Amino acid sequence: MPGLRFALPIAALLFAPAAFAQAPREMLDAAGRYVRVPAKVERVYAAGPPASILVYAINPDKLLGWTRALRADEAPFFPARYAALPELGRLTGRGNTANVEVLLKARPDLVVDVGATAPTFASLADRVQQQTGLPYLLLDGRFGAIPETLRALGHAMGDTASAGRLADWCERAIAEVAARVAQVPAEKRPRAYYGRGPHGLQTALGGSINAEVMEFLGAKNVAGAMSGGLAVASMEQVLAWDPEVIFTNDPHFYRAVGGDARWRAIAAVRSKRVHLSPHLPFGWFDFPPGANRIIGLYWAGKILYPELFRDDLRAKTTEFYRLFYHQEPGAAQLDALLGEPGVMPR
Amino acid sequence: MRGRTVYAYALALGALLLLTAFAFAVGRFPLAPGELAALAANKLFGAGYAVAPTAETVVMQVRGPRILAALLVGAALAAAGTAYQGMFRNPLVSPDILGVSAGAALGAVLGIFFSQSALVIQLGAFAGGLAAVAVVYAVGANVRRHDPILALILAGIVIGTLLGSMIALLKYLADPYNQLPAITYWLLGSLAAVAPADIALAAPFALAGLVPLYLLRWRMNLLSLSDDEARALGVPVGRLRFAVVCAATLMTAAAVAISGIIGWIGLLIPHAARLLIGPEFSRLLPLSMVLGAAFLLAVDTLSRTIAPIEVPPGVLTALIGTPFFLWLFAVSRRTWQQ
Amino acid sequence: MAAVIEARALGYGYPDRPVGRDLGLELAAGDVLCVLGPNGGGKTTLFRTLLGLLPAQAGTVLLEGQALAAMPRGAIARRLGYVPQGHAAQFAFTVSEAVLMGRTAHVGLFAAPGAADREAAERAIRTLGIGELAARAVTELSGGERQLAMIARALAQGARALVLDEPTASLDFGNQVRVLREIRRLAAEGYAIVFSTHDPGQAFLAASRVLLLAQGGALRQGTPAEVITAENLRAVYGVEVRVDTVAGMRVCTPVL
Repeated sequence: MPGLRFALPIAALLFAPAAFAQAPREMLDAAGRYVRVPAKVERVYAAGPPASILVYAINPDKLLGWTRALRADEAPFFPARYAALPELGRLTGRGNTANVEVLLKARPDLVVDVGATAPTFASLADRVQQQTGLPYLLLDGRFGAIPETLRALGHAMGDTASAGRLADWCERAIAEVAARVAQVPAEKRPRAYYGRGPHGLQTALGGSINAEVMEFLGAKNVAGAMSGGLAVASMEQVLAWDPEVIFTNDPHFYRAVGGDARWRAIAAVRSKRVHLSPHLPFGWFDFPPGANRIIGLYWAGKILYPELFRDDLRAKTTEFYRLFYHQEPGAAQLDALLGEPGVMPR
Repeated sequence: MRGRTVYAYALALGALLLLTAFAFAVGRFPLAPGELAALAANKLFGAGYAVAPTAETVVMQVRGPRILAALLVGAALAAAGTAYQGMFRNPLVSPDILGVSAGAALGAVLGIFFSQSALVIQLGAFAGGLAAVAVVYAVGANVRRHDPILALILAGIVIGTLLGSMIALLKYLADPYNQLPAITYWLLGSLAAVAPADIALAAPFALAGLVPLYLLRWRMNLLSLSDDEARALGVPVGRLRFAVVCAATLMTAAAVAISGIIGWIGLLIPHAARLLIGPEFSRLLPLSMVLGAAFLLAVDTLSRTIAPIEVPPGVLTALIGTPFFLWLFAVSRRTWQQ
Repeated sequence: MAAVIEARALGYGYPDRPVGRDLGLELAAGDVLCVLGPNGGGKTTLFRTLLGLLPAQAGTVLLEGQALAAMPRGAIARRLGYVPQGHAAQFAFTVSEAVLMGRTAHVGLFAAPGAADREAAERAIRTLGIGELAARAVTELSGGERQLAMIARALAQGARALVLDEPTASLDFGNQVRVLREIRRLAAEGYAIVFSTHDPGQAFLAASRVLLLAQGGALRQGTPAEVITAENLRAVYGVEVRVDTVAGMRVCTPVL
């Protein structure tokens, strides 16, 4: 038969690219480590909440489980089959609860962590990689690096299209917000205070991950003179700072602050410029320190510069949740999210 | 003896008054020099000077309650420590020996773990402290074959350790983003969040403990004798001990509920007072209370003024208290054993 | 003379461990009872029962004619003083402060001792001749001086009867003599005194009656001359002694 002579070379040509595609790839992660990632990644273990959010957003079917089981009020924001994913514990960062055996039993193709990339964390990643033989990718969790991290993760997972869409959206959102903020002259940027905890006295120092959203929006963090993480301020110090806007994450504090004579000495409290950050299914303001905060930019932006941030927050939220959580919130859910007392300015 | 007593009291009270005045005058909120004087004149003598409302809020609502809390907590912890050191005849005893701090910590941590309001957290701390001591006392009292003092101390250590491990478990399970920082800060202790309402809540219980102890102060001397001796002198030893434990627990639980755990005061201040004035309890207790109040006030004033952020008072009490105590120990003639 | 301390058919010990049975005692003002016996023979248990610190297992103890079991603790303290065995003092109370503690039964629950109480304490201190020690810390005193301070405390109670548990134990010779002298002097002033000792010679020196305790109960009770005999001591201590009269005084010497 005349065609058969070419059958083998044609077959070789056809299958060659596939053969190349099956080979594991070497990736350089954000901590400067070379990690051998398998060609096909179907099962991904996310080592912390920021990683879970990104993996889920890119391709929820590949996420093996949540680091902490979703609570009853968080679950309805996800499609049921994803809300029910098992709890696998977290490997690094605050409060490690994962058992390495659980990790092995889950048989992931890839372990991903998104967050700090300092040498301590890099060596932790190396250790787990050595112990388990699983490829461990460490990616940058900082705000500005989210689009890049999304693209790298998409490349590792083999879902470049989906990750690309998300990264583009984030880039546009971040650029849009940055452009709006750039229009505000320095004098018009308000002094802001972030008060956490039941007394509202735990605050975020300059450059901390908790103040990132606030500081990205150009607000002057009253506690920003000292850099670091979280710290407790005295009531008197807060009075001395006299912030113009107060953000908080604690509903008890929010409810009590209007009636407390000490807090009422601050003009912002008297004029009701105290705002409670939405937190379902993941916080909008500081924790977990992942892509979940991007919607928080629009919310906090609206509070700080209402003329510049005229977006319909409900529509924006719907869009964001559809992209990242794969489910549009229903009207009642949006009401619960944005209608909780203290979330939106009156 | 008389001369030394008068001298010690004069010194202590003088220091306390000076410190209180100083504490009102300093703080991170800038007050014009005349403002404080004007406010004092208004409040003390009914004068009618104009004072900026924020300044008034700072002095009356923020500094005032915090100073009052420092005095109350310092006096309560020192009194409890003095009572226990006498009752247990042991210089290494602190008010925590029967587990009140561990119980209060567990109560507060549970409150934080279940995302409760500040008031519920405080009530949890208070209830937890009382419950822990009740359990320790019940265990100690039911172990009949051993020396009752030893039984109490051992029960206190054991239950305290058990409660500590439960706290560690809760820290492990807590949401690391929202609950864990709050837990950590509570355990470090602080007077930063004291509001007038807190004092209104804690003061009655602290006084409910302080007043009986103060009234019983001469009788407390008899607890330094062996049980047989004390009984033969006509003292119902078991009942007296129970009363002391109740009083000390009420005071300490109320104090810890508003301030978190501040260590070293209950342990070091009674020693310092004893070095100045001797072990006779009716003189020792009041001096201990004054010294404890003054010390915590000094520490808290430092805590809230040396930096924009709070320095945990427990750290300062150890850093300042220990060298000071060593100095006092070195220059004094009296010791525990002499 | 009316008995100050009286025991009738007294059984003493613990519910699961009886120590002595059927003991009769009668002590009037001016009597000095010396309790002799080996360790573990029940001296401390007997004392604690006489003081009301341990409930009697059988029979009764009467204090100035009233049943001890029915008396409130404060009433007992005002009549009966306990001087415990000497031990190192733990707290640096002054002698005045320590003696003042004896006034507990006269002081109200929430009160502190008043002028009358301080006077009673000072009187007790003077009675024992330790006035110059009043301002010294008890931790700085010698064992004998501390014992005298403890006796002063018992006197300050207002008690007319004293129970001293081995008052001369761990005292040097001079202090032992001092304490015995005080016992005799107090007896002469009308106090009823019970004391225990390991030295039979002290019974001859200070006591008017002797109670010899052995395992299982009282062996003998009577005057020193009657009770302290070679046979009795051999039976109780298992050693040989000689009892002689020297210069009009009976002495007891071991035969080595």
